[in-house]
Amino acid sequence: MTEPFPRVTGVILKSNRKVRSLDWSVVRSWDNKELSLKVDEPSVQPHARADSELWLSRQILDKQIVDMDGRRVVRVNDLQLSQVDGSMLLVGVDIGGRGLARRIGLEGIGRRLASTFGIDWPQKLISWEAVDPVKSDVSSVKLRIAHTKLAKLHPADIADIVNELSPEDRNAVFAALDDEKAADTLEEIDEPQMQASILERLDVERASDILEAMAPDEVADLLADMPRERAQLLLQKMEEDEAEDVEELLAYREDTAGGLMTTEYVAVLHTLTAAQAIDRLRQLEPNAESVYYVYVVDEEEHLLGVLSLRDLIVAKPETKIRDFMIKNVISVGVDAGPRDVAEVTSKYNLLAVPVVDQHNRIQGIVTVDDVMERVMPGRTGGRRRRIF
Amino acid sequence: MRPKALDRPLGLLRSRRARLLVLLSVVGPGIITGTVDNDATGITGYALAGSQFGYDLLWLLIVTAVCLAVIQEMVARMGTITGKGLSDLIRERFGVAPTVWVMILLFIANAATTVAEFAGIAGAAQLLFGDFARYIAIPVSAFFVWFLVLRGSFRVVERILLTLALVFISYIVSAFLAHPKWGDVIHHTVVPTFHASAPFLLIFITIVGTTITPWMAFFQQSNVADKGLNPKDLWFERIDTYTGILALNLVAFFIIVATGATIFVHHIPVDPSDPSAFAKIALGLKPLAGQFAEQLFAIGLLTASLMGASVLPLSTTYAITEAFGFERGIDKSFGEAPAFLTIYTTMIVLGAGIALFPDAPLALITNLPNIVNGMLLPLLLPILIVLASDKRIMGRYANTRLFNVASGAVFVFLSLVTLAFLASIFFPGLFRG
Repeated sequence: MTEPFPRVTGVILKSNRKVRSLDWSVVRSWDNKELSLKVDEPSVQPHARADSELWLSRQILDKQIVDMDGRRVVRVNDLQLSQVDGSMLLVGVDIGGRGLARRIGLEGIGRRLASTFGIDWPQKLISWEAVDPVKSDVSSVKLRIAHTKLAKLHPADIADIVNELSPEDRNAVFAALDDEKAADTLEEIDEPQMQASILERLDVERASDILEAMAPDEVADLLADMPRERAQLLLQKMEEDEAEDVEELLAYREDTAGGLMTTEYVAVLHTLTAAQAIDRLRQLEPNAESVYYVYVVDEEEHLLGVLSLRDLIVAKPETKIRDFMIKNVISVGVDAGPRDVAEVTSKYNLLAVPVVDQHNRIQGIVTVDDVMERVMPGRTGGRRRRIF
Repeated sequence: MRPKALDRPLGLLRSRRARLLVLLSVVGPGIITGTVDNDATGITGYALAGSQFGYDLLWLLIVTAVCLAVIQEMVARMGTITGKGLSDLIRERFGVAPTVWVMILLFIANAATTVAEFAGIAGAAQLLFGDFARYIAIPVSAFFVWFLVLRGSFRVVERILLTLALVFISYIVSAFLAHPKWGDVIHHTVVPTFHASAPFLLIFITIVGTTITPWMAFFQQSNVADKGLNPKDLWFERIDTYTGILALNLVAFFIIVATGATIFVHHIPVDPSDPSAFAKIALGLKPLAGQFAEQLFAIGLLTASLMGASVLPLSTTYAITEAFGFERGIDKSFGEAPAFLTIYTTMIVLGAGIALFPDAPLALITNLPNIVNGMLLPLLLPILIVLASDKRIMGRYANTRLFNVASGAVFVFLSLVTLAFLASIFFPGLFRG
């Protein structure tokens, strides 16, 4: 579609309890009040509705839509149609009280009241370009394309929007997101119950693809909230090393450093040189959250030291990293409580703290936002809560 | 080497959340709705029925239980399948104008019920601390309800109230201690009795109206939708619904037995418009609590009223904002969600304000909404049936034809009750003698 606004292609005619759809070509003229046809009633040609067409009164009017500019879910109170070269275009939707009043025939009274009191009663219109219809029939290809608009929003905004939708509509939204975006969005939804319910409605393949793109600690939290069989099935479908990371995390109690940590961290062998270590980093392509520190380990994964990216970069390329790493590295045990972890991170001003087992082997890291979210719930996310 | 978590049940590993989930699943939306339905109007309604007509109305509880099972199952199913609230569905299926009417009626009925809840609080305060106490109890509890729910701890409020609701067990004990003639009790439960008199008809519609209410349908469906249940959870949601109804009707049953075996058999006349009506109804607990019957009744009434006062304004506001797409949310400022906070606050202020009126006939006020609700139901039920039968909305979970025979019967019953009541008002001669 190159036109910015969709054209009305047909009208629904209700007469004698019969409902017929007519092609727009039979419309002679129309204004605010009436629409006249070129032909008389018995001879009208029915309009075959294509799957990609929207039935405005059924699929848009009174339904929820996503207002892309406001990044929220609103209800369509009225439609704004306008005449361009004899065709009718859907240019926007009315989401305000005035549209609501118009539908029940109270707009005139309301306007008079408003002008009596000298109040401005503005229309609340959003342009169709800024609208994303959330309800999509499976066959409706066009709507799927429309969802790409939604995909351009920040995952936190998508999560807010998804929160307001019914499960079916949520699925439609998730279907339109790529795995990465879907994973980020899912991570932004703070409520594990809702995360689980979204995943449960996706098919297993897709769900496991999304899980693979998520941080393993988030996946572990999520799977813990699902029925066991379903969780196992998802784990089986995930790629082996991703699944292994998650399984490891699942073995820890939720209220310990083990349960809080993620297995996405960067560890390099102590025998490498600075240049080799930087090469290794390039290979690993660590994500932003886990690149705060580079941990130095021996062949058995014993934690020997830590480096910052800065240390690595300023060091002479051929120096062995064990010669300039910080040796007394702060770490916590897998059984440490969230408060202990929080204390350690704030005392030493760490962005992440490594978690080790009783033999001082590194198991993962707890990032500062993960531990803060646990110690001070509600301070970090700010996602809206459900009422009931 | 690596710990294989899957050898152990996943849910138990992360213990805290697992326990929470078990708790949530045991106390589902149906049980909560059923418990809240024993609000001030419920307690008063059943107690009046037992006091004035003994066991004569026990059979009606079976009828209302069946009606409730039909209605609440429908909304629970709709909430589970669509994930939407009832007013969402009404708006999307019927458009603006019908939605506006439904919402206006719902607001009036629920505002009347909220007044009743605060009247219940006033009555309880009077019984506990004397006449003047209501002027303190009402504002304090109004603020308590407003503040607690807005601070976002509705779930906490819900838990506390559900626990406090155990006080109703006292009616079961009291009923047994009153040594009713169990033969009579069973007889009247199974064999319908009917008097063609206006007071009987009034109590009849009261019982129907307090047990089956429009707000319950809205409340339970929002609750179910918010839980994000999936179609495969439907069986659980059904069990939950029926359990809630069973619990609700058991309490109602024993309130009628307890008051019937005490107040009615001793021929103590109870007039709802009389200021001392609550004190008289309280005698139903005498076999258990002796001289402290009034206090025990007051505590029960207070619990029930607080429960209703917390749920009704919230559920009404939720329904209205949902229908019109207003911004809603309890953790929002006034600027962000003006409609939500305005409607919510208005309902509480209105409810508390009217109940504060000096010399308000409290027992009468508590009884009035039952009649309003009873008459509203025949209007709401067809809407429910159309929605739940719509294949486009419900897919293969739509009402079956057999189910709609049952729901049709419920509709006919409720309409007849309302018609009979209207007839008794406009043609008082009809039911005399």
